Amino acid sequence: MEKSYARSVSGSIRSMWRMVGLFLILAGPGIITSNVDNDAGGITTYSLTGANFGLKLIWTLIPIMIALIIIQEMCARMGVVTGKGLSDLIREKFGAKIAFYLIIGIFLTNMGNVISEFAGLAAGMEIFGVNRFISVPLGAFIVWWIVVKGTYRSVEKAFLIACVFYLSYIVTGVIVKPDWGHVFKQFINPQLSLNPSEMTMIIGLVGTTIAPWMQFYLQASIVEKGIKIEEYKFARFDIVMGSIIVHIVAFFIILVCAETLFKNGIRIETAKDAALSLQPLAGKYCTYLFAFGLVNASLFAASILPLSTTYLICEGLGWETGINKKFAEAPQFYGVYSLLIFLGAGIILYPNVPLIPIMYFSQVINGMALPFVLIFMLLLINDKKLMMGYTNGHVFNAIAWVTAVVMIVFTLVLLIRII
Amino acid sequence: MNHNLKDFYFFSDFLNRRVYKPSGQKIGKILDMVAERGDPYPMVIGIVIRTKARGKRFYLPWEKIFQIEPRLTFSGDELRDFKFLLSEKDTFLVREEVMDRQIVDTFGAKVVRVNDLHFLNMDSRLRLVHVDVGFRGLMRRVGWEKTVDHILRWLFSYDLTNKLISWQYVQLLSGSDLLRLSVSQKKLSPLHPADLADIIEDLSGRDRSAIFHALDTETAADALEEIVPKIQKALMETITVEKASDIVEEMSPSEAADLLADLSEERAEEILGEMEQEKAEDLRELLVHQDETAGGLMTTAYLSMTPEVTVEAAIARLRAESPNLDIIDYIYVLNEENVLQGVVSIRDIFAAQSLQPLSGIEVPRLVSVKVDTDQDEVVKLFMKYGFRALPVVDKDKCLKGVIGFRSVLDVLSHDRG
Repeated sequence: MEKSYARSVSGSIRSMWRMVGLFLILAGPGIITSNVDNDAGGITTYSLTGANFGLKLIWTLIPIMIALIIIQEMCARMGVVTGKGLSDLIREKFGAKIAFYLIIGIFLTNMGNVISEFAGLAAGMEIFGVNRFISVPLGAFIVWWIVVKGTYRSVEKAFLIACVFYLSYIVTGVIVKPDWGHVFKQFINPQLSLNPSEMTMIIGLVGTTIAPWMQFYLQASIVEKGIKIEEYKFARFDIVMGSIIVHIVAFFIILVCAETLFKNGIRIETAKDAALSLQPLAGKYCTYLFAFGLVNASLFAASILPLSTTYLICEGLGWETGINKKFAEAPQFYGVYSLLIFLGAGIILYPNVPLIPIMYFSQVINGMALPFVLIFMLLLINDKKLMMGYTNGHVFNAIAWVTAVVMIVFTLVLLIRII
Repeated sequence: MNHNLKDFYFFSDFLNRRVYKPSGQKIGKILDMVAERGDPYPMVIGIVIRTKARGKRFYLPWEKIFQIEPRLTFSGDELRDFKFLLSEKDTFLVREEVMDRQIVDTFGAKVVRVNDLHFLNMDSRLRLVHVDVGFRGLMRRVGWEKTVDHILRWLFSYDLTNKLISWQYVQLLSGSDLLRLSVSQKKLSPLHPADLADIIEDLSGRDRSAIFHALDTETAADALEEIVPKIQKALMETITVEKASDIVEEMSPSEAADLLADLSEERAEEILGEMEQEKAEDLRELLVHQDETAGGLMTTAYLSMTPEVTVEAAIARLRAESPNLDIIDYIYVLNEENVLQGVVSIRDIFAAQSLQPLSGIEVPRLVSVKVDTDQDEVVKLFMKYGFRALPVVDKDKCLKGVIGFRSVLDVLSHDRG
């Protein structure tokens, strides 16, 4: 009896490793982008959604997922057809003035995201008892080292494997035995009230899931990979898979936080509070499990985000780029990159900055910036001369426009309600 | 006609400038300018106006412009519809095809983005003389030129200079110019192949293959040797088998073999099938060898002779064959069975009497490696002896190929990342 149990466990472990291996082989730009998407801001926003509103907003994941798939597919298609990055295309179609202001906007938004990654690192390491004055400078240095020394590609898979951590939310979600009928009902009976905290939450949810910087990053990765139009269907599959994975993870984080934190009336003030959601699975070790996930997610995103931001700024403004260049050859490139990292890390070191609100509100800003990026994308992808035979169909246009308009309306409603 | 022109203009001075009727009525804004393709500096022959009413586009030929300063006014009464514009072959739209695009600066040998354009007044006509790729140009476009100037001067006493590239050194990559690229690619061929390779690597996929298509076979082959394998492969897949085989024939055999090994087997076979029999045979032999062994590094484009050949005859053959050789530092001396007997360096040849046979000056004590020797071993030998080339033999001491210094550098630079 015991023997067969052991065998089945070892069998399932082996098959799990096989799954992980298969996943790593298949992981293309879409899946990688999606996993980076569940960064510090993402985990925080999903946790807050569950802890503050229970399952009330969980239905929003369905429309967000559809929008994410459509928007990322548009990015990938543009990358494959034009062979150019999103910021290049915006510069070439709309001219220097618009591109310049857009780039400033992206810089500020992404600065917020970089700060949130370091906030995640600080919060995670504080659970391990490491002071942020040690963890943040060390983290900044590690990120800088990984990128400048060009070892990112070899570390990427390690980060990706560490994302297996998200499974703990799925396991917890099963352990807590939620009332699945009730969960299902929440999906088919969407509820929405216009109070500011709920509007902010939804904008944050959209902003963290469909972050503007991801679209630039995804398109750049597709271009760099040199995917051809004949191979495009694999890239599309990769993107759909990635988007579904993000949402499965998001669903379980919200569910677990709703079932544990919301039911017991715990408000998330610090990362330790958010970690309590994993207690049914990991007991007293829940904080470590959570902290490990948060640190991994933060470092993963922090290695990608500042660099991709620097690339798009320098390419858009026509500055020399490339980590293989010397400082004197590409001073602006290194300048912008260092500014992002050191400012991002520096702000976290300011005494008593609240980490959870930083991570949360950077995602809300993402959500507010999204419609602008989306409108540029829509204008580009419907340009017949640029996209040749690959412009958007009516359904795609409709969904993307609805997303942009809804986000603008939500932002306006929120601003009006606050004032 | 005197248009009241200033000495020079930037395109940003014109973009969105208002255009007036002779009566003083405002009619629209400048959207674009049309220039004549012509060497060395294209002349502006008209402007494209977007009217206020329903944003229609109109073409206004230069002759119809009454004055530029102080306000741009046209003479005559009706504007011509934009649609029946002149042919794309002789003219181009400045903003659509040049502004904000990537271009190749063939003087500095790099890919840059155009921020603004610089026109010069020559005999009351404007000619496009420079492209501006500097930060100042960008600030001018955004409308912050004066502000940035003030700030920089006040803070750092620093004057932001214009970064201008002469139109002579500009190779366009976009629009209808791509179709004409083969005509204008003469600007690219004087570049060093390694620079050209860097430029091609910097470009986006579409521009990359367009430029590559336009190069003549020899330039393409030289550049291809310097391009990273991943892009090499992508480029070879976009061209016809005939062109591919012509290019491969021009490449050094060791580089060509590496390239073919990266392609799919069918594609490589197609290309080999189109090639000259003899060269294809050589490449097939090289292709058999494992990567990362001496066999994978060697080339077959070397010179071998029998021992009784005189120095005089050797020099003559060297001279005749040098354009096709990868290895010209040594002549390898073989007997009838192709067994390696000795080696003669080019220095020995020039120092020797012209009627002496090679057997008299050859160095018999030879260092050579086997076909399956590991490449790291090869690198060590090069470092130890300071060779410029190293022969590769099979188990019967028959010469199979020669490894050049260049291939060793490739191995080393690959190891260093």
